[in-house]
Amino acid sequence: MRWRRTLGKLAAIFRRGRVERELEEEVRAHLEMEEEENRAAGREREEARYAARRAFGNVTRAKEMSREMWLYRWAEDFFQDVRYALRTLGKSPGFAAVAVLTLALGTGANTAIFSAVYAVLLKALPFPEPDRLVMVWEDVRLPNYQNEQNEVTPGNFAEWRSQNTVFEDMGAYRNRSYNLTGSGEPVRVEGELVTSGLFSVLRENAAIGRVFTADEDQPGSGHVAVMSEGLWKSRFGGDAQILGKTILLDGVSYTVIGVMPPGFHFPDPDDQLWVPMALSEQELNNRGSHYLDIVARLKAGVTTARAQAEMNTIARHLTEMYPTTNAGQTVNVVPLHEEIAGPVRPTLLALLGAVGLVLVIVCANVANLLLGRASVRHREMGIRWALGAGRTRILRQLLTESVLLALLGCALGLLLARWGVAALKLLSPPHIPRLEEISLNGPVHAFSLGISVFAGLIFGLAPALEAVRGKVHDSLKEGARESAGGARMRTRNTLVVMETALGVMVVIGAGLLLRSFLLMERTSLGFQPKNVLTFRVIPRGERYAKPSGRSAFYQQAIQRIEALPGVKSAAAITFIPLTFVRGSKGFTIEGRVPPAPGQVLMAGYDVVSPGYFETMQIPVLEGRDFSWSDTPQTQPVIVINAAMARRDWPGEDPLGKRIRQGGPEEEFPWMTIVGVVGDIREFDVMTQPRPTMYFPITQWPDSYHVLRDWVVRTAGNPLGIAAAIRGAIWEVDKDLPISRVRSMEQVRSLSVAPQRFNLLLFALFAALALALAAVGIYGVMAYSVAQRTREIGIRVALGAQHGDILRLVVAQGARLAVLGVMIGLGGAFALTRLMAGLLYGVPPTDPLTFAGVAALLAGAALLACYIPARRATRVDPIVALRHE
Amino acid sequence: MAPKAQMGERLELLQGTLDLLILRTLRWGPMHGHGIAKFIERTSQDILKIEHGSLYPALQRLLQEGWIKAEWGTSTNKRRARFYRLTVAGRRQLTAEHSRWERFTEAVARILRPSAAEEQP
Repeated sequence: MRWRRTLGKLAAIFRRGRVERELEEEVRAHLEMEEEENRAAGREREEARYAARRAFGNVTRAKEMSREMWLYRWAEDFFQDVRYALRTLGKSPGFAAVAVLTLALGTGANTAIFSAVYAVLLKALPFPEPDRLVMVWEDVRLPNYQNEQNEVTPGNFAEWRSQNTVFEDMGAYRNRSYNLTGSGEPVRVEGELVTSGLFSVLRENAAIGRVFTADEDQPGSGHVAVMSEGLWKSRFGGDAQILGKTILLDGVSYTVIGVMPPGFHFPDPDDQLWVPMALSEQELNNRGSHYLDIVARLKAGVTTARAQAEMNTIARHLTEMYPTTNAGQTVNVVPLHEEIAGPVRPTLLALLGAVGLVLVIVCANVANLLLGRASVRHREMGIRWALGAGRTRILRQLLTESVLLALLGCALGLLLARWGVAALKLLSPPHIPRLEEISLNGPVHAFSLGISVFAGLIFGLAPALEAVRGKVHDSLKEGARESAGGARMRTRNTLVVMETALGVMVVIGAGLLLRSFLLMERTSLGFQPKNVLTFRVIPRGERYAKPSGRSAFYQQAIQRIEALPGVKSAAAITFIPLTFVRGSKGFTIEGRVPPAPGQVLMAGYDVVSPGYFETMQIPVLEGRDFSWSDTPQTQPVIVINAAMARRDWPGEDPLGKRIRQGGPEEEFPWMTIVGVVGDIREFDVMTQPRPTMYFPITQWPDSYHVLRDWVVRTAGNPLGIAAAIRGAIWEVDKDLPISRVRSMEQVRSLSVAPQRFNLLLFALFAALALALAAVGIYGVMAYSVAQRTREIGIRVALGAQHGDILRLVVAQGARLAVLGVMIGLGGAFALTRLMAGLLYGVPPTDPLTFAGVAALLAGAALLACYIPARRATRVDPIVALRHE
Repeated sequence: MAPKAQMGERLELLQGTLDLLILRTLRWGPMHGHGIAKFIERTSQDILKIEHGSLYPALQRLLQEGWIKAEWGTSTNKRRARFYRLTVAGRRQLTAEHSRWERFTEAVARILRPSAAEEQP
């Protein structure tokens, strides 16, 4: 049936074609000629025409049958070619296996990488009309602080929302985790505080029950919550009566009003709970604290640029109205898809580029294999030609063969890609978004098929043209192999040079990533991650509402943990290093000239318990650590890092100096600097340490900055005491969930996971490229030695030594390799700057890497030449000369 | 299969023989479709009857086999017509077909004509 339809479609093409028109004219001419003859024989006009028709028979049928001849022939040729190609490949299974396997590696790798590119960069977001979704950020440009994606103050959010005319609606959210207690072990659940606008912007509704309404944006409107399908199933067994039930979050009861559909997680994949933010009147006037993320939906027909322009106008008005808080602020409107895909685009494109180069190398290699075969099949082509096959007919048959090879490679490649995608999902670091959406779907299959057919035509074309270039009688003559060999050798040499050049480029990419990674591994973190266990316990609820309650908890828990066998010391901090990008705080130094508005000094900050520096082995360079005896009743103290001491007290001793939070007009208490500690890598391994303040938890009043992360230095394997620590915490409070139990080594490893992932894939592709290039050079040299057997025989007969022959052959290969390496270095020089963003501490044109890779490729090439060269030295002149 | 025609009647063509006849006709030089039909009828002294329409599928087939080539030209009475010409491959094919045909007709004739061998006991 499908076959019929295909034929029908093809017929449609022909129906409009030149052939069709010609046939039409031809038949008309025939009928007229016949009619004229009949009239010349004395018949009446009508009678003559009728007779002509009768002699011709059924005109329509004749035309149809003629047409079918074309189609039939076309289809028959096609199947004949395919059958013939299969038979030919079957006759040389070694060649077929090598070619198909090489192609499968090439297309498989490309398909796997493309599946990720498609899911992350190309596929639309899973929301209705996703193109209209944008993120709205503050764009802050101050002398001491720049951030184009600054979180938004509630004050700005309120003004933006009421003044704009470009958005259908705007929604705000803020990450918030909860301790979920009651019925079973306490668990920590990731969630979001949201405004009702979030759901209307995304146009998402609950699967069961409802989402929040504008009423629930009002403070004091009651504690309600919406949960994910996953949490509903795992924690509540998919209870059909869940609506209206209460759950305990941080010890407070909330009424469940909705369950979201499966797969809904916004903004983070691990979000399970949504709770109304219900900003109070006081919060809505807050223009100093930046903690909201804003998502909005553009009105139909409004472009991002127009929204951007209007929001900037609004921001300018706000800056005029509130100069102290809104100085240097504009607005940055970013399409949501860009927000999600943007950060990983360079990585994915670099990978796609590398894997694309590998495919080109694969094509060059298979083309080389085909050229090798072409010399064997030259006689066959000659015979086909002599038997009347046209040039195009032979070309078509050879291309059918190469496309068939490519399709077989594609089929096997898809199988490899299936594993590749599974491996990708397993290995990929958490920074790659929409991972669960990666699959071998329709578009990915189409891509795979497309590149395969394209590859088949590309690598098949050169050998096929080569095959039909020679003349018939040439190919039938004895010794024709040699005469056609020259041109073919040139093509093969070109392919090998190209392969080597591309190989150099891919390997250099991998080399640069390797250098970066090694540098990162060697970078001193400023603390010692070995033998440190970390976990997260957040004291929340009635008992911890006051600072004294929290402080007591930290002290008790730390004492119990330190009492455990194998524990050296324990401490807690707001966020451990290498996990979380934190904001910074403005501060004022006592006795200095007050800075202009918007020029307040800024520094990063953390709140820590006493013993944190000792536990992490961060050196205390000057002064002292905090102690439990620093209390709200004693002198307020602070510890700074060396970077801050250098920046703010150059050539001075900062010990004893006093600073306070906020700008000069704010009335926070003065704190005395009692210690200076070493700099650490805070956000990730790559980012240079920034000036940082450490506040003591024992004097810290703000309840939002509770200590979340705990660190324990152990004598042995840190993970071994995790269970004991759980017990110690639960002795103090059995309702506190313990999560993120990891060794600090694991944390470090996870923080370089993106780099390791890039390196791993690049290294894989580089190895593939290197192997293919080496095989390519080997193939050409082996072929060349076989071709030159007689010449070498004569040389040996004339007294050439083994060394001479070796040098002769290796020099020939080395010329190709050197040319390829040079071109490759040039190409890499032009291309590697595209991956500058993926490198650390290494310039994209790092001479060491370039030289190293050049040497590596040259070495591989020499090795590939050496084997055929050795064979050449074993040529027996007698045999070689008799052979001809 | 064998035509049950009697002498004096026009004969339907045997399947497959049209190709041979066209190729043979074109040995005399390029000719258009109508010309080929007339030539076959005339040369067989009007015994072989060709439905003119059946000529064209056959010509297409021969074209695609590469045995004949077609080009537009002007007929004797100044009419634009498509002329067919035998190719080298076509010439070879004609020779092969011709000898095949001769062996075929000879074999058929032998069976139809009572031979000496058959009369032996």
